[in-house]
Amino acid sequence: MRVGIVGAGSMGRVHAVGWRATGAELVGVMSDPFSSAEALAAAHGVRAFDDLDALIAEVDVVDLCVPTDLHHPMTLRAAAAGRHVVCEKPIALRLDHAREMIDACERVGVRLFVAQVLRFFPQYRAAAEAVRAGHLGELGVLRFRRVAYPPHQGQASWFLDESRSGGMLCDLMVHDFDYARSIAGEVTRVYARSLRGNDPDAARDYALVTLRFASGAMALVEGGWAYPPGVFRTGFDLAGRDGLIEWDSDGSETIRRYLLPTGSSGAAAVGLPLTVFAEDPYTTEIKHVHAALRDGTPFDVTPQDATEALRIALAARASLREGRAVDPAEVA
Amino acid sequence: MRVGILSFAHVHAEGYVGNLRAARGVELVGFGDDDAARGARFAEAYGLRHLGDRDALLAEGLDAVLVCSENARHREDVEACAQMGVHVLCEKPIATSLADAEAMRSACEAAGVTFMTAFPMRFDASVRAIKDALDAGELGALYAVNGVNHSEIPKGHRAWFADRSLAGGGAVMDHTVHLTDLLRWMTGAEVEEVYAEVGNPFYPDDVDVDTAGLVTVGLSNGVFAAIDCSWSRPTTYPRWGHLKMDLVGERGALALDAFAQVLTARSPRLPRTPTWIGWGADPNQAMVEAFLDAVRDGRSPPVSWRDGYEALRVALACYASADSGQPVRWTHG
Repeated sequence: MRVGIVGAGSMGRVHAVGWRATGAELVGVMSDPFSSAEALAAAHGVRAFDDLDALIAEVDVVDLCVPTDLHHPMTLRAAAAGRHVVCEKPIALRLDHAREMIDACERVGVRLFVAQVLRFFPQYRAAAEAVRAGHLGELGVLRFRRVAYPPHQGQASWFLDESRSGGMLCDLMVHDFDYARSIAGEVTRVYARSLRGNDPDAARDYALVTLRFASGAMALVEGGWAYPPGVFRTGFDLAGRDGLIEWDSDGSETIRRYLLPTGSSGAAAVGLPLTVFAEDPYTTEIKHVHAALRDGTPFDVTPQDATEALRIALAARASLREGRAVDPAEVA
Repeated sequence: MRVGILSFAHVHAEGYVGNLRAARGVELVGFGDDDAARGARFAEAYGLRHLGDRDALLAEGLDAVLVCSENARHREDVEACAQMGVHVLCEKPIATSLADAEAMRSACEAAGVTFMTAFPMRFDASVRAIKDALDAGELGALYAVNGVNHSEIPKGHRAWFADRSLAGGGAVMDHTVHLTDLLRWMTGAEVEEVYAEVGNPFYPDDVDVDTAGLVTVGLSNGVFAAIDCSWSRPTTYPRWGHLKMDLVGERGALALDAFAQVLTARSPRLPRTPTWIGWGADPNQAMVEAFLDAVRDGRSPPVSWRDGYEALRVALACYASADSGQPVRWTHG
């Protein structure tokens, strides 16, 4: 299996490490600017490409680690060439684009995997397994936290441009929307308040989103690009009729560093909620994709799941715009 | 100052016994409770005189009373205290309807007695430190607050907490008011928007009140906040629950976990394993003393009737929002 990565930012880098841990052949990296493709390609001893079609021509799998607005056109191009597609989350910026991506892949018989990586984080997996095993009984109130610092890249990051990333709700909170739906089922009502909802020009964003599920369960999802550089807090609290699971990143660090300051904050351009893992969850994810493509087995996350997670995020954005609770089914 | 406790219906009455005994210049005369069995039990437990029902208590010629009856009975109790010229510290929520709350204000104003709402968290050392940090500008402009005041179902302590006719509701009525009050107090702004998801996922076969609530409030200064008021902690939890606030602002965030000061204890002699044994200061002590000081000095109380009223209004608005599935909005004239 020959793989090409498109995009050499923070996700391109972690996906490259992931592919190198599989039996697949990482053929090369394409990016704009070309210099970042060269740097990532050199790090892995593979080829750098400056043309998408040239990369597509050389591979079986195209792994899109590009800004979200490029997911739709690039997926269509890769699918038209008969290539499997791995695509970073969120699947797209619009539901019709997501459907077109799914249709395009189905039409030519290639597979589409959307990298909702949270499903591969071991603490989230363990909690999902506990829920499915029935340890909590019927779910009641779920709480999720994902608050980091604003992405920065010297100049303005594309993440902060809502027309490219969908904003914090689509880019960051979509992780928890997908995960919440994966354990609690379909969402029937979404209500949101956010900093950018109050002030579209706010330098940072922070949102509190309430979800109601068809089952009667409810969730409070907290998300933000709001903390100082380097700070990233995540957590969940799952309360059911018969039990409770609590986890938060504040309380489960195996290593705490109390070191003299080195002068700079040293924060990465984009925060990742990583800790000491037996295996990097991004690598777990890529291994899963590789095995599923190799063996023809199902993906743990379907593109339909990713589309529904986007639908919840778009419903939250509609709630912000309209100041009311929104049924995700209303979102076109 | 001669002080009494009116009813042991509310669990907080038990703590107030110690608070009143520790307060200077207070004679804790006894308590009134029309439940004879409950009266006998707590008279025994605390070595306190059970004087009989409310009228028997008020016949003692008291200066002040701590009203700890069921929420729906606050009105008649407060009106009776006011009629006797007795100052009142009233448990929260102050009533189960705005009309009852208004009647309580009228009665106290007409009688010229002090009415203070029992919001102890304003007197908590960590909460005060957060308020001081906000006032000093540490956070810059405050943008949003994620508040948690979830707990176990209090039914194990007192059944009426889950009885709609006496409590006025369930988890939302019980727990929304504390964080609402802290938000109003910390910001100086008023709540003008409430959205709430409300349900009974935890004890559908046992109680017919709400056991879960996720509330979003919008304040008049643009700050928005979530309040999780759910009875979502299992009864095996190491303690009743939590009060937490994550405050996000211009310069980052402040995270408050007001009851983090605990010992984690394990023993077959403890009711839960583990048990969190708190070692932080008791905010009720400072609250009770602040009430007594206000009465003694003839000053207005540090937590007013209005504070109790506005918090009740938010709790009631949660139910209205849940009924309509949409936010409820109002303006403060």
